[in-house]
Amino acid sequence: MEATASVQSKAERGFKYALLAPAVIWVIGLTFFPILAAVHYSFANYVLGEGITGYVGFDNYARLLTDSGFWYSIFITVLYVGITVPIEVCAGFILAWLITIGLPGKSFFRPVLTAPLFTMEVAIGYLGVTLFTDQGGLVSALLGAFGIQIPWLSTAAGGLAAAMILDIWIWTPFVFLMSLATLSAIPNDIYDAAMLESSSHWQVFRHVAVPLAWPVLTIAILLRVIEGLKSFGLPYALTSGGPGTSTQLFSIMADLTTIQFTDFGRGSAMGIIYLILASVVISYFFKQMRKRIE
Amino acid sequence: MSQDRSKEHFQELAAGFLAGRISRRHFIGQAAKLGISAALLSRIMTSGAYAADSNLIDSSPDYPNESPITKERIAFLKNKPYKGQTINVMVLKATVGDGLKYWVPKWEEETGGKVNVAEVPIDTLHQQIFSDLQTTHKYDTYMTGAWFYGDFFVPKEPYIIDVDPYLKDPKYPYWNPDDFIPAMKTLYSWQGKVYGVLFDSDCQILYYRRDVLEKAENQQKFKDKLGYDLPNPPKTTKEMHDVATFFTGWDWNGDGKDDWGISLHAKVNEQGFFHFLTLAAPYVCSPNNKYFWFHPETFKPLINSEGHLRALEDYVKFLPCGPKEAISWTLGQGWTLFLAGHAVMEPTWGDLPTFAQDPKESTVKGKVGATIIPGTSEAFDPIKGKWDKFDLNSVGNVNGGSWHCVISRFSKKKEVTYDFLAFMATKKNALYNCTHGFTGVQPGMKFEYFPPVGTGKAEEWVEQGWDGDEAKRYLDAYYQNLSLPAQETYLRIPGAAEYWHELDVRVSAVLAGQTQPKAALDDCAQAWERITERYGRDKQKKLYAESFA
Repeated sequence: MEATASVQSKAERGFKYALLAPAVIWVIGLTFFPILAAVHYSFANYVLGEGITGYVGFDNYARLLTDSGFWYSIFITVLYVGITVPIEVCAGFILAWLITIGLPGKSFFRPVLTAPLFTMEVAIGYLGVTLFTDQGGLVSALLGAFGIQIPWLSTAAGGLAAAMILDIWIWTPFVFLMSLATLSAIPNDIYDAAMLESSSHWQVFRHVAVPLAWPVLTIAILLRVIEGLKSFGLPYALTSGGPGTSTQLFSIMADLTTIQFTDFGRGSAMGIIYLILASVVISYFFKQMRKRIE
Repeated sequence: MSQDRSKEHFQELAAGFLAGRISRRHFIGQAAKLGISAALLSRIMTSGAYAADSNLIDSSPDYPNESPITKERIAFLKNKPYKGQTINVMVLKATVGDGLKYWVPKWEEETGGKVNVAEVPIDTLHQQIFSDLQTTHKYDTYMTGAWFYGDFFVPKEPYIIDVDPYLKDPKYPYWNPDDFIPAMKTLYSWQGKVYGVLFDSDCQILYYRRDVLEKAENQQKFKDKLGYDLPNPPKTTKEMHDVATFFTGWDWNGDGKDDWGISLHAKVNEQGFFHFLTLAAPYVCSPNNKYFWFHPETFKPLINSEGHLRALEDYVKFLPCGPKEAISWTLGQGWTLFLAGHAVMEPTWGDLPTFAQDPKESTVKGKVGATIIPGTSEAFDPIKGKWDKFDLNSVGNVNGGSWHCVISRFSKKKEVTYDFLAFMATKKNALYNCTHGFTGVQPGMKFEYFPPVGTGKAEEWVEQGWDGDEAKRYLDAYYQNLSLPAQETYLRIPGAAEYWHELDVRVSAVLAGQTQPKAALDDCAQAWERITERYGRDKQKKLYAESFA
């Protein structure tokens, strides 16, 4: 009897391991192995056509840590995320709230607001060139009609602002959709009761909608921060990181170093440093969010 | 005395043979009469003995897409020799890629072969080529920029093969590398062997609005303002700047809007820094110095020399003579301004006059002049560290990609691949390419130029929709640039793209006012040193020397 149970238990264990195996292989193959390979390359001097020509210890790291271009790219990335994500979250949530409380034209706004989300970032980047060019671009022409002239694509500030505007345009719908789903899931009784108590949409928004939607908003913010830190296609298509390196986000610099110039040593070191920095920021962010929820 | 006459006679014979004016048989016969040994003749003949020129006929009704064509080729094509065979080609996703794709169905129909074309954007082309060469070996041939060459020769056995053996076989489409303008042949070769098959031949010259500079009213205004005759065309960098400044900010074309003196395409991570290279050439290269990039003995960067600095300062001065946004313009945007008739000058590639012939693209057909890039009255010799004075130091360049295909050493279908590439290089097809803007191809062969320097005819260009005079002006200037005694050498060492990128972002930063020219070039030199250390100074120095050979 015991022997039968033992055989059954072994079979169960085997079955569990078999179910787990794909996930374990996936994680090892596509997460651990690439990270280990990156760590390995980060200590090496890599030359195209020759492979690793020698090991250089922490040289790649030391050079990066003293490279103003590297820190500038991180600064620009943080600035980019720091401005776009809060605007996207606020705008997306407010729009969802307006739709929830019965803003007229709901069926019109919902598809219109979500359309940019389904467009490729690179395509929007190239579209941005035609929108912001001062040679007849729509945005420039509209502002020009009011006597406002902004050198969108010929200055660092203009290029960065244009990229941010487009980023907000694409990603606000993402927060909008998540918020709309959450707000729609809140029972109408709660809204009705709150309205009876306060008679103010603002009070209901502040004391009911935001707290109840906060767990989902936290996820939305986290996803946007992670995606924002990886932004590449849009700014690259719009400005190629220029003028100079003024809009060169970290991802663009990493791409140039690693992919275009095949400096895998330096590129891997960049990736590892960035991974550590991003992990620290996101862990801290997570901790704060969890506290808030609790 | 007699010996001198024989020597002269032989030199004439050899020059005639190499230029294609006398036949191989006649050359051998006459040389033998002069007592030239067979061994010496065989050495002379090697470079020119491409295919069976004695069996060459002008055209075949069965194969109208190849001209001229050998009898062996006609026989070879009878049975669709490549039926069932497919080759994979990686091309640049740009006009040159479109140019190659244009010929695919024609070659497939003629040979029975099949061509798969993968288009790759410029910013990942280098990486994808070398990734394939190191790993999958999927592609038989790659469209390369001439600055990738150094990377092909890093391994002991180069990644690409020389095409000499195929050139000698008359069953392949006929083209002859001896028809190259010498400056161009260098870019298709490595240490005397030809590796690339003719496609594109780039250099930058200055295009200008002839009608605007010739207008008496403009000439008078210019003289009143600047105190000397309007230079038509500008011959020095200073004159070019004066002209650009003069024509900026007023409506000289009468359309009610202010116009510009110059159009530039200065976007970073594109091809904007070529403007800087072109401007810098006469400030650095001269009859006294050919080194532009690195010191030949120490391999220290020369990029922060006083000559380079002067050129960068000039580049900054040119920027306000065009729309401010030109700092973020790609090639197409820069060309559009000129083609729409809003800029007087543009230093760029031959695509511009080619597009100018198309009424859909251009309002300036028949109005475009062309001249070599204006020179300087002094040049800084970075090896000796001193400025040299000249009446006029004009320097040619081959700036650009000179995009063409090379064959992978790992290809299992080298013959088929070469056949396709050579098909596009035949005289008729090469001429078609360089007379049509959509192909992105510029002329580099003698048969594309008019006498006395070439064997082409103006009618051939007119047939393709060109204004005959404009074609002549364009080709004259292009040839003059390629054949100037002083030339800016081209960078063809491993990591060339990386060296250029470091320069590119710094030049762009200067144009954007983020940094000063001197600081940018000094910083660039330091970045170049880091790249050199990574690749190995001695190896780079060796390949740098070989790249000139």
